Amino acid sequence: MSTALGLESLARLERLELLELRLRRRSGPLLPQIRAALAGRGQPLRWAITGVEPDPAGAQLRIEAVMIRPPA
Amino acid sequence: MALAPVAAPLPTLMVVPTGIGCALGGYAGDALPAARLLAAASGCLITHPNVMNGAALYWSDGRIHYVEGWSLDRFAAGDLALRPVRRQRLGLLLDAGIEEELRLRHLQVVDGCRATLGLEIGAVVTTDGPLGVNLRQGPSGASWGSLERPDALLRAGEALQRAGATAIAVVARFPEDPQSEALAAYRGGAGVDGLAGAEAVISHLLSRHLTIPCAHAPALSPLQLNPELDPRAAAEELGTTFLPCVLVGLSRAPDLVATGPSAPSGAAGAGGVLTADQIGAVVAPADAMGGEAVLTCAERGVPLIAVHNPSLLNVSAAALGLAEAGATVLDACSYAEAAGWITALREGLSPASLGRPLLPLR
Repeated sequence: MSTALGLESLARLERLELLELRLRRRSGPLLPQIRAALAGRGQPLRWAITGVEPDPAGAQLRIEAVMIRPPA
Repeated sequence: MALAPVAAPLPTLMVVPTGIGCALGGYAGDALPAARLLAAASGCLITHPNVMNGAALYWSDGRIHYVEGWSLDRFAAGDLALRPVRRQRLGLLLDAGIEEELRLRHLQVVDGCRATLGLEIGAVVTTDGPLGVNLRQGPSGASWGSLERPDALLRAGEALQRAGATAIAVVARFPEDPQSEALAAYRGGAGVDGLAGAEAVISHLLSRHLTIPCAHAPALSPLQLNPELDPRAAAEELGTTFLPCVLVGLSRAPDLVATGPSAPSGAAGAGGVLTADQIGAVVAPADAMGGEAVLTCAERGVPLIAVHNPSLLNVSAAALGLAEAGATVLDACSYAEAAGWITALREGLSPASLGRPLLPLR
Protein backbone atom coordinates (compact mmCIF):
# COMPACT_ATOMS: atom_id res chain seq x y z
CA MET A 1 0.00 0.00 0.00
CA SER A 2 2.96 2.33 0.49
CA THR A 3 4.06 4.74 -2.21
CA ALA A 4 7.72 5.61 -2.72
CA LEU A 5 8.41 9.32 -2.95
CA GLY A 6 10.32 10.78 -5.82
CA LEU A 7 12.60 13.78 -5.49
CA GLU A 8 10.83 15.85 -8.12
CA SER A 9 8.18 17.26 -5.80
CA LEU A 10 6.72 20.69 -6.28
CA ALA A 11 6.87 21.59 -2.62
CA ARG A 12 9.81 23.92 -2.21
CA LEU A 13 8.69 26.25 0.44
CA GLU A 14 9.17 27.45 3.28
CA ARG A 15 10.29 27.92 6.75
CA LEU A 16 8.11 28.69 9.70
CA GLU A 17 8.69 31.44 12.21
CA LEU A 18 6.90 32.21 15.42
CA LEU A 19 6.13 35.89 15.73
CA GLU A 20 4.88 38.08 18.52
CA LEU A 21 3.81 41.62 17.85
CA ARG A 22 2.00 44.47 19.55
CA LEU A 23 -0.71 46.50 17.93
CA ARG A 24 -2.60 49.52 19.15
CA ARG A 25 -6.32 49.04 18.56
CA ARG A 26 -7.82 51.83 16.51
CA SER A 27 -11.50 52.40 15.99
CA GLY A 28 -13.32 50.48 13.29
CA PRO A 29 -12.96 46.93 11.98
CA LEU A 30 -10.13 45.02 13.57
CA LEU A 31 -9.20 42.49 10.89
CA PRO A 32 -7.75 45.00 8.42
CA GLN A 33 -5.60 46.40 11.22
CA ILE A 34 -4.23 42.94 12.02
CA ARG A 35 -3.64 42.06 8.38
CA ALA A 36 -1.75 45.30 7.90
CA ALA A 37 0.38 44.60 10.96
CA LEU A 38 1.26 41.10 9.70
CA ALA A 39 1.92 42.20 6.14
CA GLY A 40 5.56 42.25 5.14
CA ARG A 41 6.50 39.62 7.71
CA GLY A 42 5.62 36.61 5.55
CA GLN A 43 2.30 34.88 5.10
CA PRO A 44 0.36 34.17 8.26
CA LEU A 45 -0.41 30.47 8.71
CA ARG A 46 -2.00 30.79 12.12
CA TRP A 47 -2.52 33.78 14.36
CA ALA A 48 -4.57 34.92 17.33
CA ILE A 49 -4.90 37.88 19.63
CA THR A 50 -3.61 36.46 22.91
CA GLY A 51 -3.63 39.53 25.12
CA VAL A 52 -5.27 42.93 25.51
CA GLU A 53 -4.01 45.74 27.73
CA PRO A 54 -6.37 48.68 28.21
CA ASP A 55 -4.96 52.04 27.23
CA PRO A 56 -6.74 55.38 26.90
CA ALA A 57 -5.08 55.85 23.53
CA GLY A 58 -6.41 52.50 22.28
CA ALA A 59 -6.02 49.02 23.70
CA GLN A 60 -2.66 47.33 23.16
CA LEU A 61 -3.17 43.97 21.51
CA ARG A 62 -0.64 41.15 21.65
CA ILE A 63 -0.73 38.92 18.58
CA GLU A 64 1.02 35.58 18.36
CA ALA A 65 1.45 34.09 14.92
CA VAL A 66 3.18 31.39 12.91
CA MET A 67 4.42 32.93 9.69
CA ILE A 68 5.50 31.24 6.47
CA ARG A 69 8.72 32.74 5.21
CA PRO A 70 10.78 32.08 2.12
CA PRO A 71 13.87 29.89 2.61
CA ALA A 72 16.67 31.74 4.43
CA MET B 1 -52.17 16.10 16.37
CA ALA B 2 -50.35 18.26 13.84
CA LEU B 3 -46.68 18.90 14.60
CA ALA B 4 -45.24 22.38 14.20
CA PRO B 5 -42.81 22.61 11.26
CA VAL B 6 -39.16 22.53 12.21
CA ALA B 7 -37.26 25.70 11.42
CA ALA B 8 -34.59 25.42 8.76
CA PRO B 9 -31.10 24.64 10.04
CA LEU B 10 -29.00 27.56 11.20
CA PRO B 11 -25.41 26.87 10.10
CA THR B 12 -23.34 27.61 13.18
CA LEU B 13 -19.59 27.76 13.70
CA MET B 14 -18.24 26.36 16.93
CA VAL B 15 -14.68 27.33 17.80
CA VAL B 16 -12.69 26.15 20.80
CA PRO B 17 -9.17 27.44 20.14
CA THR B 18 -6.46 24.84 20.36
CA GLY B 19 -3.73 24.90 22.99
CA ILE B 20 -5.03 27.60 25.34
CA GLY B 21 -6.26 25.32 28.12
CA CYS B 22 -10.00 25.81 27.78
CA ALA B 23 -11.79 24.24 30.74
CA LEU B 24 -14.18 22.64 28.28
CA GLY B 25 -12.53 21.54 25.06
CA GLY B 26 -8.92 21.97 26.11
CA TYR B 27 -8.33 18.26 26.57
CA ALA B 28 -9.13 15.06 24.67
CA GLY B 29 -12.21 15.85 22.62
CA ASP B 30 -14.02 16.95 25.74
CA ALA B 31 -16.05 19.58 23.86
CA LEU B 32 -17.76 16.82 21.93
CA PRO B 33 -20.89 16.71 24.12
CA ALA B 34 -21.24 20.48 23.70
CA ALA B 35 -20.82 20.08 19.93
CA ARG B 36 -23.54 17.44 19.84
CA LEU B 37 -25.85 19.77 21.76
CA LEU B 38 -25.14 22.72 19.45
CA ALA B 39 -25.64 20.46 16.42
CA ALA B 40 -29.04 19.45 17.73
CA ALA B 41 -29.97 23.09 18.38
CA SER B 42 -28.72 24.42 15.05
CA GLY B 43 -29.29 21.47 12.73
CA CYS B 44 -25.93 22.26 11.13
CA LEU B 45 -22.67 22.73 13.03
CA ILE B 46 -19.27 23.44 11.49
CA THR B 47 -16.43 22.75 13.87
CA HIS B 48 -12.81 21.67 13.92
CA PRO B 49 -10.87 18.56 14.93
CA ASN B 50 -9.85 19.92 18.35
CA VAL B 51 -13.52 19.80 19.30
CA MET B 52 -14.27 16.38 17.84
CA ASN B 53 -11.10 14.32 18.35
CA GLY B 54 -11.03 12.06 21.38
CA ALA B 55 -8.23 9.73 20.22
CA ALA B 56 -9.95 6.34 20.31
CA LEU B 57 -13.30 8.02 20.97
CA TYR B 58 -15.35 9.88 18.38
CA TRP B 59 -18.90 10.62 17.39
CA SER B 60 -20.25 10.74 13.89
CA ASP B 61 -23.25 12.99 13.30
CA GLY B 62 -24.46 14.03 9.86
CA ARG B 63 -25.27 17.49 11.20
CA ILE B 64 -21.64 18.13 12.20
CA HIS B 65 -19.12 19.18 9.56
CA TYR B 66 -15.49 18.36 10.45
CA VAL B 67 -13.36 21.19 9.07
CA GLU B 68 -9.72 21.77 9.97
CA GLY B 69 -8.83 25.19 11.38
CA TRP B 70 -7.18 26.81 8.35
CA SER B 71 -10.07 25.70 6.15
CA LEU B 72 -12.57 26.86 8.73
CA ASP B 73 -11.00 30.32 8.75
CA ARG B 74 -11.12 30.43 4.95
CA PHE B 75 -14.74 29.25 4.98
CA ALA B 76 -15.66 32.01 7.43
CA ALA B 77 -13.92 34.53 5.18
CA GLY B 78 -15.86 33.34 2.12
CA ASP B 79 -12.78 31.99 0.32
CA LEU B 80 -13.96 28.37 0.54
CA ALA B 81 -17.34 26.68 0.53
CA LEU B 82 -18.10 23.27 2.04
CA ARG B 83 -19.65 20.50 -0.03
CA PRO B 84 -20.97 17.56 2.01
CA VAL B 85 -19.92 14.15 0.69
CA ARG B 86 -20.99 10.57 1.24
CA ARG B 87 -17.41 9.54 1.92
CA GLN B 88 -13.83 10.59 1.41
CA ARG B 89 -11.01 8.41 0.09
CA LEU B 90 -8.43 8.76 2.82
CA GLY B 91 -4.68 8.75 2.51
CA LEU B 92 -2.31 8.24 5.42
CA LEU B 93 0.80 10.38 5.71
CA LEU B 94 3.42 9.01 8.10
CA ASP B 95 6.43 10.89 9.44
CA ALA B 96 9.70 9.10 8.69
CA GLY B 97 10.65 9.85 12.28
CA ILE B 98 8.19 7.27 13.64
CA GLU B 99 9.80 4.10 15.00
CA GLU B 100 8.87 0.82 13.31
CA GLU B 101 6.74 -0.57 16.12
CA LEU B 102 4.76 2.65 16.47
CA ARG B 103 4.35 2.82 12.70
CA LEU B 104 2.93 -0.70 12.69
CA ARG B 105 0.48 0.29 15.44
CA HIS B 106 -0.83 3.08 13.22
CA LEU B 107 -1.13 0.83 10.19
CA GLN B 108 -3.14 -1.61 12.28
CA VAL B 109 -5.48 1.21 13.33
CA VAL B 110 -6.01 1.93 9.65
CA ASP B 111 -6.74 -1.72 8.98
CA GLY B 112 -9.13 -1.79 11.93
CA CYS B 113 -11.04 1.21 10.60
CA ARG B 114 -11.23 -0.41 7.16
CA ALA B 115 -12.42 -3.74 8.53
CA THR B 116 -14.69 -2.62 11.36
CA LEU B 117 -15.99 0.77 10.24
CA GLY B 118 -15.88 0.29 6.49
CA LEU B 119 -13.78 3.37 5.81
CA GLU B 120 -12.03 3.72 2.47
CA ILE B 121 -8.35 4.23 3.17
CA GLY B 122 -5.95 3.84 0.31
CA ALA B 123 -2.41 5.01 -0.15
CA VAL B 124 0.13 5.31 2.63
CA VAL B 125 3.07 7.63 2.11
CA THR B 126 6.06 8.13 4.37
CA THR B 127 7.88 11.46 4.31
CA ASP B 128 11.35 11.51 2.74
CA GLY B 129 12.85 12.67 6.02
CA PRO B 130 11.78 13.16 9.63
CA LEU B 131 9.50 16.17 10.02
CA GLY B 132 11.28 17.42 13.13
CA VAL B 133 8.31 18.61 15.17
CA ASN B 134 9.20 21.01 17.94
CA LEU B 135 6.95 22.35 20.65
CA ARG B 136 6.91 25.89 22.02
CA GLN B 137 4.88 28.10 24.26
CA GLY B 138 4.03 31.64 23.31
CA PRO B 139 4.32 34.56 25.74
CA SER B 140 0.67 34.02 26.67
CA GLY B 141 1.34 30.41 27.64
CA ALA B 142 -0.57 29.12 24.62
CA SER B 143 1.01 26.14 22.90
CA TRP B 144 2.61 26.78 19.54
CA GLY B 145 5.06 24.75 17.58
CA SER B 146 6.81 24.29 14.33
CA LEU B 147 8.39 21.86 11.90
CA GLU B 148 11.97 21.66 10.75
CA ARG B 149 10.96 20.11 7.44
CA PRO B 150 7.67 21.54 6.17
CA ASP B 151 8.86 20.74 2.64
CA ALA B 152 8.90 17.01 3.42
CA LEU B 153 5.34 17.22 4.73
CA LEU B 154 4.10 18.96 1.61
CA ARG B 155 5.88 16.57 -0.78
CA ALA B 156 4.28 13.60 0.93
CA GLY B 157 0.88 15.29 0.77
CA GLU B 158 1.30 15.90 -2.95
CA ALA B 159 2.16 12.23 -3.47
CA LEU B 160 -0.98 11.15 -1.64
CA GLN B 161 -3.13 13.50 -3.67
CA ARG B 162 -1.60 12.13 -6.88
CA ALA B 163 -2.40 8.64 -5.62
CA GLY B 164 -6.07 9.57 -5.38
CA ALA B 165 -6.52 10.61 -1.77
CA THR B 166 -9.32 13.13 -1.29
CA ALA B 167 -8.52 13.69 2.40
CA ILE B 168 -5.33 13.13 4.38
CA ALA B 169 -4.67 11.92 7.90
CA VAL B 170 -1.20 12.90 9.08
CA VAL B 171 0.73 11.16 11.84
CA ALA B 172 3.88 12.93 13.01
CA ARG B 173 6.33 11.80 15.66
CA PHE B 174 6.12 14.25 18.54
CA PRO B 175 8.83 14.84 21.11
CA GLU B 176 7.91 13.53 24.51
CA ASP B 177 8.96 14.02 28.09
CA PRO B 178 6.85 11.73 30.27
CA GLN B 179 8.22 13.33 33.44
CA SER B 180 7.43 16.92 32.52
CA GLU B 181 5.39 19.11 34.85
CA ALA B 182 3.34 20.37 31.92
CA LEU B 183 2.25 16.87 30.96
CA ALA B 184 1.42 16.04 34.58
CA ALA B 185 -0.68 19.20 34.81
CA TYR B 186 -2.51 18.33 31.59
CA ARG B 187 -3.25 14.79 32.72
CA GLY B 188 -4.42 16.21 36.03
CA GLY B 189 -6.84 18.58 34.33
CA ALA B 190 -5.00 21.81 35.06
CA GLY B 191 -2.76 22.38 32.08
CA VAL B 192 -2.47 23.26 28.45
CA ASP B 193 -2.30 20.64 25.70
CA GLY B 194 1.33 21.19 24.78
CA LEU B 195 1.03 19.31 21.48
CA ALA B 196 -1.92 21.20 20.09
CA GLY B 197 -0.11 24.19 18.63
CA ALA B 198 2.25 22.09 16.52
CA GLU B 199 -0.61 19.84 15.45
CA ALA B 200 -2.47 22.86 14.16
CA VAL B 201 0.56 24.03 12.21
CA ILE B 202 0.87 20.64 10.48
CA SER B 203 -2.75 20.41 9.43
CA HIS B 204 -2.91 24.11 8.46
CA LEU B 205 0.15 23.78 6.22
CA LEU B 206 -1.18 20.75 4.42
CA SER B 207 -4.73 22.07 4.01
CA ARG B 208 -3.41 25.36 2.67
CA HIS B 209 -1.15 23.58 0.19
CA LEU B 210 -3.61 20.98 -1.13
CA THR B 211 -7.08 22.43 -0.37
CA ILE B 212 -8.43 19.08 0.76
CA PRO B 213 -9.54 18.00 4.24
CA CYS B 214 -6.58 17.18 6.48
CA ALA B 215 -6.19 16.40 10.17
CA HIS B 216 -3.41 15.26 12.43
CA ALA B 217 -2.72 12.68 15.12
CA PRO B 218 0.53 12.69 17.10
CA ALA B 219 2.58 9.51 17.43
CA LEU B 220 3.66 9.01 21.02
CA SER B 221 4.74 6.15 23.23
CA PRO B 222 2.08 4.97 25.71
CA LEU B 223 2.22 6.64 29.12
CA GLN B 224 2.43 4.98 32.51
CA LEU B 225 -0.92 4.42 34.18
CA ASN B 226 -1.98 7.48 36.20
CA PRO B 227 -4.61 6.81 38.89
CA GLU B 228 -5.30 10.56 39.20
CA LEU B 229 -6.10 11.04 35.52
CA ASP B 230 -8.65 13.78 34.83
CA PRO B 231 -11.72 12.45 32.95
CA ARG B 232 -11.25 15.11 30.27
CA ALA B 233 -7.84 13.67 29.37
CA ALA B 234 -8.87 10.01 29.65
CA ALA B 235 -9.82 9.45 26.01
CA GLU B 236 -6.17 9.76 25.01
CA GLU B 237 -5.12 6.89 27.27
CA LEU B 238 -7.46 4.19 25.99
CA GLY B 239 -5.30 2.97 23.16
CA THR B 240 -1.89 3.12 21.56
CA THR B 241 -2.64 5.80 18.96
CA PHE B 242 -4.70 8.98 18.56
CA LEU B 243 -5.65 8.08 15.01
CA PRO B 244 -9.17 6.53 15.03
CA CYS B 245 -11.02 9.82 15.63
CA VAL B 246 -9.09 11.51 12.81
CA LEU B 247 -9.94 8.78 10.33
CA VAL B 248 -13.60 8.83 11.29
CA GLY B 249 -13.77 12.64 11.22
CA LEU B 250 -12.11 12.87 7.82
CA SER B 251 -14.14 10.02 6.35
CA ARG B 252 -17.12 12.34 5.90
CA ALA B 253 -15.46 15.75 6.08
CA PRO B 254 -16.90 18.09 3.47
CA ASP B 255 -14.99 18.85 0.29
CA LEU B 256 -13.39 22.29 0.19
CA VAL B 257 -14.65 24.28 -2.79
CA ALA B 258 -12.88 27.44 -3.89
CA THR B 259 -15.06 30.51 -4.22
CA GLY B 260 -14.34 34.00 -5.42
CA PRO B 261 -13.58 35.39 -8.86
CA SER B 262 -11.17 32.60 -9.92
CA ALA B 263 -13.47 29.73 -8.90
CA PRO B 264 -15.34 27.65 -11.47
CA SER B 265 -18.80 29.11 -11.99
CA GLY B 266 -21.53 27.43 -10.01
CA ALA B 267 -18.97 25.82 -7.70
CA ALA B 268 -20.48 27.21 -4.52
CA GLY B 269 -23.92 27.81 -3.20
CA ALA B 270 -25.70 24.98 -5.02
CA GLY B 271 -26.74 21.45 -4.17
CA GLY B 272 -26.33 21.63 -0.41
CA VAL B 273 -23.02 23.47 -0.56
CA LEU B 274 -22.46 25.62 2.52
CA THR B 275 -21.19 29.15 2.03
CA ALA B 276 -20.10 31.85 4.43
CA ASP B 277 -23.18 33.96 3.86
CA GLN B 278 -25.28 31.16 5.33
CA ILE B 279 -23.52 31.25 8.71
CA GLY B 280 -26.12 32.19 11.30
CA ALA B 281 -24.07 32.22 14.51
CA VAL B 282 -20.59 31.69 15.92
CA VAL B 283 -19.99 30.11 19.31
CA ALA B 284 -16.62 30.73 20.98
CA PRO B 285 -15.17 30.98 24.49
CA ALA B 286 -15.93 34.43 25.91
CA ASP B 287 -12.27 35.11 26.74
CA ALA B 288 -10.87 33.86 23.43
CA MET B 289 -12.60 36.07 20.89
CA GLY B 290 -9.44 37.10 19.05
CA GLY B 291 -9.25 34.38 16.41
CA GLU B 292 -9.63 34.89 12.69
CA ALA B 293 -12.95 33.08 12.19
CA VAL B 294 -14.61 34.91 15.07
CA LEU B 295 -13.41 38.34 13.96
CA THR B 296 -14.32 37.67 10.35
CA CYS B 297 -17.85 36.70 11.33
CA ALA B 298 -18.15 39.68 13.68
CA GLU B 299 -17.32 41.99 10.81
CA ARG B 300 -19.86 40.27 8.58
CA GLY B 301 -22.61 40.88 11.13
CA VAL B 302 -22.96 37.27 12.27
CA PRO B 303 -24.08 37.06 15.92
CA LEU B 304 -21.30 35.98 18.31
CA ILE B 305 -22.28 33.74 21.21
CA ALA B 306 -19.63 34.25 23.89
CA VAL B 307 -19.64 31.26 26.24
CA HIS B 308 -18.11 31.20 29.69
CA ASN B 309 -15.26 28.72 29.20
CA PRO B 310 -12.14 29.86 31.08
CA SER B 311 -8.70 29.50 29.52
CA LEU B 312 -5.27 31.13 29.66
CA LEU B 313 -6.51 34.08 27.67
CA ASN B 314 -8.47 37.15 28.63
CA VAL B 315 -9.45 38.45 25.20
CA SER B 316 -13.13 39.25 25.47
CA ALA B 317 -15.42 40.91 22.96
CA ALA B 318 -15.61 43.90 25.30
CA ALA B 319 -11.81 44.21 25.52
CA LEU B 320 -11.61 44.13 21.72
CA GLY B 321 -14.40 46.67 21.33
CA LEU B 322 -16.37 44.37 19.05
CA ALA B 323 -19.82 45.62 20.06
CA GLU B 324 -18.68 49.23 19.57
CA ALA B 325 -17.59 48.21 16.07
CA GLY B 326 -21.09 46.93 15.35
CA ALA B 327 -20.98 43.24 16.34
CA THR B 328 -23.87 41.48 18.05
CA VAL B 329 -22.54 39.69 21.13
CA LEU B 330 -24.73 37.32 23.12
CA ASP B 331 -23.30 36.17 26.47
CA ALA B 332 -23.88 32.60 27.61
CA CYS B 333 -22.86 31.17 30.95
CA SER B 334 -22.73 27.63 29.54
CA TYR B 335 -23.01 25.70 26.30
CA ALA B 336 -26.56 24.83 27.35
CA GLU B 337 -27.38 28.54 27.32
CA ALA B 338 -25.58 28.92 24.00
CA ALA B 339 -27.87 26.19 22.61
CA GLY B 340 -30.80 28.31 23.77
CA TRP B 341 -29.49 31.34 21.88
CA ILE B 342 -29.05 29.22 18.75
CA THR B 343 -32.58 27.90 19.07
CA ALA B 344 -33.86 31.46 19.39
CA LEU B 345 -31.92 32.59 16.31
CA ARG B 346 -33.05 29.52 14.37
CA GLU B 347 -36.67 30.32 15.24
CA GLY B 348 -36.22 33.95 14.22
CA LEU B 349 -36.69 35.35 17.69
CA SER B 350 -35.10 38.65 18.62
CA PRO B 351 -32.57 37.96 21.39
CA ALA B 352 -33.60 41.24 23.07
CA SER B 353 -37.16 39.96 23.47
CA LEU B 354 -35.93 37.20 25.78
CA GLY B 355 -34.40 39.53 28.40
CA ARG B 356 -35.73 42.09 30.82
CA PRO B 357 -36.08 44.97 31.13
CA LEU B 358 -37.41 45.47 27.60
CA LEU B 359 -37.26 49.21 27.17
CA PRO B 360 -39.86 51.10 25.11
CA LEU B 361 -38.80 52.53 21.78
CA ARG B 362 -38.41 56.32 21.67
